[in-house]
Amino acid sequence: MSTQLLEINGLERHYEMVSGTVKALDGVDLKINAGDRILLLGPSGSGKTTLLNCIAALDSPTSGTYTFEGEKVPQNNTEGMTTFRRENIGYIFQFFNLLQDLTVLENILLIQELSGGRDEKRARELLLLVGLEDEIERFPTEISGGQQQRVAIARSLAKSPKLLLGDELTGNLDSTTSAMVMEVLVEACKTENITTVMVSHDESLSKYANRVIRLDSGRIVADNNL
Amino acid sequence: MYLLLTKRLTRSLWRTKIRLVAVLLIIMVGVFAGIAFGHYAHTATTMYDEIYADSEDGVNLPDIWVENPRAVWSGNQSDSFCEQISTQWPESELVLNECESRLILDGMLSIEEDGMTKLIPAIWHGIDEGYVDRVWMPVDDCCSGRLASADDEIVLDAHVTEGMEMKIGDTISIGAGHGMMDFTIVGTGYHSNHLFFAVPGSLVPAGAGTFTTGYLSSSGLERLANFSSGSSNHLLIDLVGTPDYDLLSTDEVEGAELVELIVGIRTTMEGVSSTAIVYDRSGISSVEFLRADAEGAMKSYPVITGMIVIVAGITIFLSLQRLIQSQAKEIAVLRTLGIPRSAIMPGYILAPLGIGMVGTIFGVILGLTLGAPGMQAVYENLIGIPVINGSVPYSSIAQIILITMLIVMFSGIRPAWQAANLDPLDVFRGQNEVRLTSRTIQKLTARLPTTIGLTIRSSTRKPIRLAFTFFAVGLSMLILGSMLFMMESMEQMMVQGFEDNQNWNSQAFILPDAEDGVIDWAESNGVDFELYILYPANPEGDSRQLMTIGLDEFATSGEDAMLTLSLAEGGYPTAGESTTQVLIDNGIAHFLGWGVGEVQSISFGSQNVEIKIVGITDGEISRTVYFHRSDLAEIVGFEATSVLLNIPEGVSSEGLGEVSVGIVEKQDILDAFTDLMEKQQGFFIAIQFLGIIIAFVVLFNTLIMNLSERDSELATLRVLGAPISRLSRMMLGEHFAIGLIGGVLGTIFSIIGTKWLMSKMVQWSFYFEIHADLGISLGLTAIVLVISLLLTPIGTYRIKRMNLVEKVKEFSN
Repeated sequence: MSTQLLEINGLERHYEMVSGTVKALDGVDLKINAGDRILLLGPSGSGKTTLLNCIAALDSPTSGTYTFEGEKVPQNNTEGMTTFRRENIGYIFQFFNLLQDLTVLENILLIQELSGGRDEKRARELLLLVGLEDEIERFPTEISGGQQQRVAIARSLAKSPKLLLGDELTGNLDSTTSAMVMEVLVEACKTENITTVMVSHDESLSKYANRVIRLDSGRIVADNNL
Repeated sequence: MYLLLTKRLTRSLWRTKIRLVAVLLIIMVGVFAGIAFGHYAHTATTMYDEIYADSEDGVNLPDIWVENPRAVWSGNQSDSFCEQISTQWPESELVLNECESRLILDGMLSIEEDGMTKLIPAIWHGIDEGYVDRVWMPVDDCCSGRLASADDEIVLDAHVTEGMEMKIGDTISIGAGHGMMDFTIVGTGYHSNHLFFAVPGSLVPAGAGTFTTGYLSSSGLERLANFSSGSSNHLLIDLVGTPDYDLLSTDEVEGAELVELIVGIRTTMEGVSSTAIVYDRSGISSVEFLRADAEGAMKSYPVITGMIVIVAGITIFLSLQRLIQSQAKEIAVLRTLGIPRSAIMPGYILAPLGIGMVGTIFGVILGLTLGAPGMQAVYENLIGIPVINGSVPYSSIAQIILITMLIVMFSGIRPAWQAANLDPLDVFRGQNEVRLTSRTIQKLTARLPTTIGLTIRSSTRKPIRLAFTFFAVGLSMLILGSMLFMMESMEQMMVQGFEDNQNWNSQAFILPDAEDGVIDWAESNGVDFELYILYPANPEGDSRQLMTIGLDEFATSGEDAMLTLSLAEGGYPTAGESTTQVLIDNGIAHFLGWGVGEVQSISFGSQNVEIKIVGITDGEISRTVYFHRSDLAEIVGFEATSVLLNIPEGVSSEGLGEVSVGIVEKQDILDAFTDLMEKQQGFFIAIQFLGIIIAFVVLFNTLIMNLSERDSELATLRVLGAPISRLSRMMLGEHFAIGLIGGVLGTIFSIIGTKWLMSKMVQWSFYFEIHADLGISLGLTAIVLVISLLLTPIGTYRIKRMNLVEKVKEFSN
């Protein structure tokens, strides 16, 4: 039986707007086990990115509880939340967000250094894992979008997170490249034994997940194991 | 459409309020400084012109002086000389208006201080209500009373009455080498020769109770000195109008006609009084000081204003570039929707003009209410005379506004052109944002820890911005550094040099050939002494005056000589050589190009003397030639003009006054300089503060821009879990690097700039070299470094405030 990684109960995230209160998340209950590969699907404004931000401890919920490995996740505490992310979370952005001034290898080393331990051997292994062992001295502007996203995957794995989050990580790639990136991601997460939660509009990515959660109007409307 | 686009730009600018305020602040400071310094310059110029003018309110400064420094002419001789000058008037367009003889003597004022009699050196003028060189008694609180008419009446200089709290009706005891007499003060006023109130030869205003001048009737001074009626030692020649005269500050001969006339009068005088020297107003140190001050202020205020406004221009330029970069997508959308370039451009030109206008309005208001009155007070404090009719000319304000607005406008043209020419496709592809450090920097930093490598690469990512920033920091450091370097160099020369190089503590002035009394006094009191000659001369064929000094002992250190020299080149002169050996100061070497080993000629009145230069000294502000006293005595015909004394503690100077015509205490000279420094302290601190504020604003602008440009980088790192402490350390490293490089470059710029500025400011009567003091250099570097480091917490605060959810949203857009 899989170990439970995190548990969310009655999670709400409200935003006060001029037009009134917007309930981006409206009572979400969710349990994620270690090894899950979850795809969060839903229309625009359904609350999937907000949920991802709350899971990443980028955002603090208005109410509800969130525990990670049985421990309460810090809320409304910038540095506590940052530490939580550093120790537990990997994050992949839609537009890769690599540092243009650093080489492929250096982008990974930087995260290691900022997290307290430079390990060049592991950085090279990760680049081998995502198939970029020949590009390590190149700069982000010198490689393709797909390659950049693979570097971002390697970077997110660099500090061995327990949970890897991705927001529309193939949204900026063509379908062939998307498939390649997703395969690399799944393979890498399997190898590294990392749980993943991906947000997307793209139903076709379901094949890379073992669990698909659908959101609408800030609520989970379907949660299916595949 | 234009209005909407400009409104949109204004709103965007308003979002960068702090940077906007910083830019406004620099423009305001530039205009403020321009008005303040401009007011000083115009005040100095107006005062110079009006006081010396040939008018009802002016003193009618003579155009030519004929002086006999060695003796006094009788009344008949004076009249005859004026007659001969008139009859032998050279062929010239310049017309003689008046020739007046005048007696001017060194003397002393006796006062009681702490139960002791103190003798203060003095210069007494015998002035009847003549036509030329009158006593200046403006309608002001400073001056009152009337001219001296009876031979026991005196008009005391207003500097003296104010400093020593004397008033009309007081009786004072004065002397001029022939005992002391009582005179009643009947008026207070100023004299052209002493408007800048300093002991002759000194550039430091005399402290209260250290120097006196007074204006007696001719008969009063003759009675005091026991001279016959009509005696004089000066002929004051006034021409119709005010002819051009040769300025000491330029290489050109501006007053060729006057120079020819002086040569003619010199020839006339050679036949009747070989010791007479002839000179124009540049030979009167107070007049020359006020002229040089006005000229220097007129030259420097546009430079200072320009420098500050250029810094403002750079700041605007960089800010607009950053604004355009952040608005690139909006501009690209507008361009894609068909908005023409011509519609994009005006807003970016109008924006800096708007900013410039607001800054200028505040600058003008502050300049007129605080700057101009402040600088007027500085002038009154420094020169010690009241400013009459002081007002800031509208033309000057208009000029400053025009210069400011032009620079501000030019600073917006390039960014405006860049905005209008952005390629929408490049923008949408993100190509316009790609800014990488050079390959060389990347290679150089490849082996460093990534955090350090990134710090260095980020710092150098925008080399043009960095270069402009360093240039602007350099300019602000020039404002601060020039003041510090000049003050340090002057203090070194005038206080430290004076304190270290002078082994005497009192100087007793004597009439020619009257040294025996002082020598007897010194010997009977066990006081070390050395005879000293100070005598004016000119380079042959050159109207510029220099001072010759006769010394018995030459030394660069120790206590054998009363006056030690700083020898920059060559060796000491030998006495009694067939060609007289001398040392010249480095100012003479600079202006005349004279060097060691050369034989040159200098004129003592009509007597030309060949000299061999054996060494060059430094540390003299005035042009000086050092002789062996025995050699100089042979030339001038007397043994000493003063005696340098080293009076031991406990020995009273009683009796010294009776055998001399004035005593100067070394401590009084040092106190005068300290007093001058204290008077000017507020002004200097204000200028230094200005430099620091500008450097702060420039660095603040650039470093905040650097940070805001890297928002996405920093946000990415934060999302990925980078702790603020690590990011702060990276930022600290970057600020340290920028601060250190900026500080070093700024200091180098400041040293070179100050030396250049000084090379433009020095002139014959005022020469000194800037020494790049290590302490000040390190201090300047440290100031920039500290400013840069102080901005780290602002960056840290900015990162802390960063809304990561919003940033992640931005990433997805």
